[in-house]
Amino acid sequence: MQAQLLRRTLPSLVLGLLFLSTPAMGVCLDKYQELFGQLQKQTDIMQRTSLLLDPYIKSQGLDKDGLKEHCREHPGAFPSKDALQRLSRREFLRALHTTLGSVLHRLTALQRDVPKAQDLEMLNRAKQNIRGFRNNIHCMAQLLPDSSETTEPTPAGPATSPSPTPTSDTFQRRLEGCRFLHGYHRFMHSVGQVFQEWGESPSRSRRHSPRRGLRKGVRRVQLSRRNKRLPPRGQLPR
Amino acid sequence: MALFSVFQTTFLLASLSLRTYQSEVWSEPLPWAPESLKVSINSTRQCLHLQWSVHNLAYHQELKMVFQIEISRIKTSNVIWVEDYSTTVKWNQVLHWSWESKLPLECAKHFLRMRSAVDDAKTPEQRFWSNWSSWEEVDGKKGGDRRPLFVFPKDKLVEEGSNVTICYVSRSQQNNISCYLEGVRMQGEQLGPNVSMFNLNHVAFIRETGTNIYCKVDQGDGIKGIVLFVSKVLEEPKDFSCETQDLMTLNCTWDPGRDTGLLKQLSQSYTLFESFSGKKTLCKHKSWCSWQVAPESQETYNFTLTAENYLRKRSVYLLFNLTHRVHPKAPFNVLFKNVSATNATMTWKVHTIGNYYTLLCQVDLYGEGKVTQHNISVKVDGEHLFGGLEPDTQYMAQVRCANANRFWKWSEWTCQNFTTAEAAPSEAPDVWRNVKSVQGDCVVTLFWKPLSKLQANGKILFYNIVIENLDRSSISKLLSIPAPANGTEVILDQCLYQIHVTANNSVGTSPASVIIVSGDPGNTEVEEERVKGTEDGFSLSWKPQPRNVTGYVVDWCDHPRDPLCDLQWKNLGPNTTSTVVSSGAFRPGVRYNFRIYGISTESVPYLLEKKTGYSQELAPSDNPQVVMSNLTSHSFTLSWKDYSTESQPSFIQGYHVYLKSKAGQCHSGWEKAVLSDDAVCCKYKIDNPKQKTFVVENLQPESFYEFLVTPYTSVGEGPHGAFTKVTTPDEYSPILIRIILPMVFCILLLMIICYLKSQWMKEKCYPDIPDPYKSSVLSLIKSKENPRLTIMNIKDCVPDSIEVLNKQEGTRKSLTETESTKPTYLYLLPTETSYSGPGPCICFENFTYNQAASDSASCGHVPVPPKAPPSQLGLLTSPENLPKSLEKNYMNSLGEIPAGETSLNYVSQLASPTSGDKSSLPTNPPEPALCSEYKMQMAIPLGLASPPSSGSSSLSSITLLEEGEHYH
Repeated sequence: MQAQLLRRTLPSLVLGLLFLSTPAMGVCLDKYQELFGQLQKQTDIMQRTSLLLDPYIKSQGLDKDGLKEHCREHPGAFPSKDALQRLSRREFLRALHTTLGSVLHRLTALQRDVPKAQDLEMLNRAKQNIRGFRNNIHCMAQLLPDSSETTEPTPAGPATSPSPTPTSDTFQRRLEGCRFLHGYHRFMHSVGQVFQEWGESPSRSRRHSPRRGLRKGVRRVQLSRRNKRLPPRGQLPR
Repeated sequence: MALFSVFQTTFLLASLSLRTYQSEVWSEPLPWAPESLKVSINSTRQCLHLQWSVHNLAYHQELKMVFQIEISRIKTSNVIWVEDYSTTVKWNQVLHWSWESKLPLECAKHFLRMRSAVDDAKTPEQRFWSNWSSWEEVDGKKGGDRRPLFVFPKDKLVEEGSNVTICYVSRSQQNNISCYLEGVRMQGEQLGPNVSMFNLNHVAFIRETGTNIYCKVDQGDGIKGIVLFVSKVLEEPKDFSCETQDLMTLNCTWDPGRDTGLLKQLSQSYTLFESFSGKKTLCKHKSWCSWQVAPESQETYNFTLTAENYLRKRSVYLLFNLTHRVHPKAPFNVLFKNVSATNATMTWKVHTIGNYYTLLCQVDLYGEGKVTQHNISVKVDGEHLFGGLEPDTQYMAQVRCANANRFWKWSEWTCQNFTTAEAAPSEAPDVWRNVKSVQGDCVVTLFWKPLSKLQANGKILFYNIVIENLDRSSISKLLSIPAPANGTEVILDQCLYQIHVTANNSVGTSPASVIIVSGDPGNTEVEEERVKGTEDGFSLSWKPQPRNVTGYVVDWCDHPRDPLCDLQWKNLGPNTTSTVVSSGAFRPGVRYNFRIYGISTESVPYLLEKKTGYSQELAPSDNPQVVMSNLTSHSFTLSWKDYSTESQPSFIQGYHVYLKSKAGQCHSGWEKAVLSDDAVCCKYKIDNPKQKTFVVENLQPESFYEFLVTPYTSVGEGPHGAFTKVTTPDEYSPILIRIILPMVFCILLLMIICYLKSQWMKEKCYPDIPDPYKSSVLSLIKSKENPRLTIMNIKDCVPDSIEVLNKQEGTRKSLTETESTKPTYLYLLPTETSYSGPGPCICFENFTYNQAASDSASCGHVPVPPKAPPSQLGLLTSPENLPKSLEKNYMNSLGEIPAGETSLNYVSQLASPTSGDKSSLPTNPPEPALCSEYKMQMAIPLGLASPPSSGSSSLSSITLLEEGEHYH
């Protein structure tokens, strides 16, 4: 039991520390590689089912044969990996930001069906992590070219909304919550794969690399307000 | 009779006909038939609610009526419930009735109808049923929902152990549907073509989040389910109790029992209701609640505590008088005053409970391992005097209080510590002494035991010792020994002394302990007895004393091997003649000595007996160091006088002497013994432990023996360690030694004398050859400053003539011949032309030595053989003057000297101190005794130095030659 608790809380703690190393809300880290590395690590952690899905299934009694099979993501509830791969970096970040915003709302709704304080705390930590992750995505979007379009992430469209139809049926809500969490972890796994492709594909990276030179003036103004530590030239990836 | 029967039958038929008629008449709608029927559903409680009204009642008319209600399921003909509901109906009243369905109402349609009858005594004639109302249809499902599968009831909350019926409704008849309870398939009952129901009996609590029940279409992904929330049965609160500490607030507590295991929002609540005041409060906590006491000082309270959840309500009751439930607060401000050595006064305060309440306080005192308890009545302040306390002792006092008028509960304890003051020591110290006589003085070592805490009554600071001379009572001496010393040493003369010892603390002095020390140590010779100790100690006994004794003292040393020995003693009564001395310091293998003293009426101790023993004897661990002496060819003596029997780990009873010999024969008195290594030897037993020498006799000369001496005790003998080896000497060797030793001494003495007189002998036998260059003649010549006058160099000499002389030299032998030879001298005489005056007479004495010859240390000149062969003489003459034969011989000799071998011999020259002046040369052929002569030594090889084949050795004098040069 203690080991299980540790297995649950440890990744969250690591994730928290990762967020601690990133700037606070509103102050962006302008080192692309560092930010990208953190996003990758955070994605790796957030896709672990031991963080949310597994404890949820256990506490709701869904860990039975015949039920587990139905704890599958609704098709279309989250963007598929292919759909994410087809997006440009900017579009990808926008979709990610929007989807995670919906996830936050859904997690809040899910908390109502979780009676145990321990599970509530687990959901709270997950929400905090998602907020931090979204903040990092926001900062990453600013490092991409034409960041003016991405300063305010657009709300998620109906096709990518993971929110199901509200129901008063407890069993159905329970099952939907399980499906939602399954989809969430799958989605984060896909996000991780896309991030991995970003790192492995220099040509694409080069195509979408931040035009630091072009954006220098704008960034300088912004950073001078937010972060006094300007990176030296050439620190961003080409 | 028959007529009567017919009449009767006719009457009955008429009556029946009339009855039938009447019935038909009253089946017509009654003026009080139920109307305005409305049916509603409570899905959560699975209830059908029916409401209706009865019209046509007069104002204020009340009519007792019966309503019969029929309920059908699925179809009207399938009646599942009939019930008569009796009630009093008033004018314009809306009537209600509920029915709880076991089957969820959503599972099937239900139909309901009712009729009424008057059941009132006031109108007995109208007791007939009205017509049935029309069927009212109830459908629990929402009509617009077209989903293919439903499971009911949704989110039902039941108690553990209850029975539940669930159902599923399918839109399609073709689907094969299976239902599961927590993964276990359930067997159901078909209600209709699309409806099946499942009865769950005695449902169990599984988890807080409820039990999952779900149905699946076998071919497809459709799954529907419900969550059945199972609650544990709400228990009745236990141990419900209320009390007050201040008559202002009541604190009610209870044990809520086990948790129902429901979610927080479904959990039970607790309410407190007081019936006299009619007040009610909702408790915020599950196990306690506060209640404000009414200011009008209500004395009696009747509480109802109700635990209630969605399923059940439990209540408990409590009636009490407020003044009987007073639980005072703990006393405070506990203080001690007037604390002396034996008394202390404790004061404390209590929280007031109204003006007329008296508290009973209980005071406990803990100290010295005892507890004393006192009860005191207190209004506001409490006070209690503790007496009979021990001085200088820490006590712990605690106090608690309760309502004195009506005991309910004690308050919590309030504790406080205090320490009593010191008092003078109450007991005299236990004193003993040890007396030794040193150089005419009496050295008395006094010992005393520290007083116990109860006796000391405080911290002992010092001990006073007053030494009083009993012979001259005016003389006394005072010593003050600071604590924690437990003894001192005083030196007394041979007088009789009385010693007083007192212990002193900050308050006063203890009674004195008196002991009389006689100037005579009184070491009377008392036989020492042996006692056997055990693990529990030594049991000692002594003879009762005929004269009066005031008691006995047994003393001993706890550590006899230590110099300080740690003297212990034990005081015993006058009637005691035995005791057991035990000590934790007693160790096995250590000898303890006990002395038993009797104390006379004059307080003079006198030694009665001595005991010695071991608490446990151990085998000796060491053997004595044996010294062997007087070794002869037939015996030797062993001695171990340094071996102390007193310091052994057991009483030594004697010694075993082991002797190993090659012969293996044991003489009389010896016995054969087999050692641990299976070696066989002879053993001799010495029974007397004081015998520490032993003579081993009857030995064989020039034989090898090994011996070992080991002590033996009652628990065994010493270790069989290394044997000492000894070999007996030869029988005659002592005699030989007596002769040879003086001889060797004499020879050594002679050699020493010879060595010391070697210089003298050398001077006498073979003096050193003088070095001409170091001669004093040189200095003489230099002093005349004639550079031309110097020692004649042979190169400067031009021989004119050679005179050969034969000189008889006695019996001296050359090294190369043993017969006596005559020296041959060649005299070089100046020619007429070269000789200008009286020249020096030069005499050549030619000695030719070989190495062996030089070492022979023969004394005197080695003369040339008197009859030298001509060949040898020719060597020393010029070609024109010397005989040819001589020349020839000489040349031959030189020619035989190989190069490089000339160093084997040496040539030395000797100048006469008187031959420096040419003018002094004699004109006559010189005589050897008067003339300077050159003793010429010439290096010749050893081969040449060998004697000639003729057997006679002859050496010739020749001129001194440079290396490689010949003078002719």
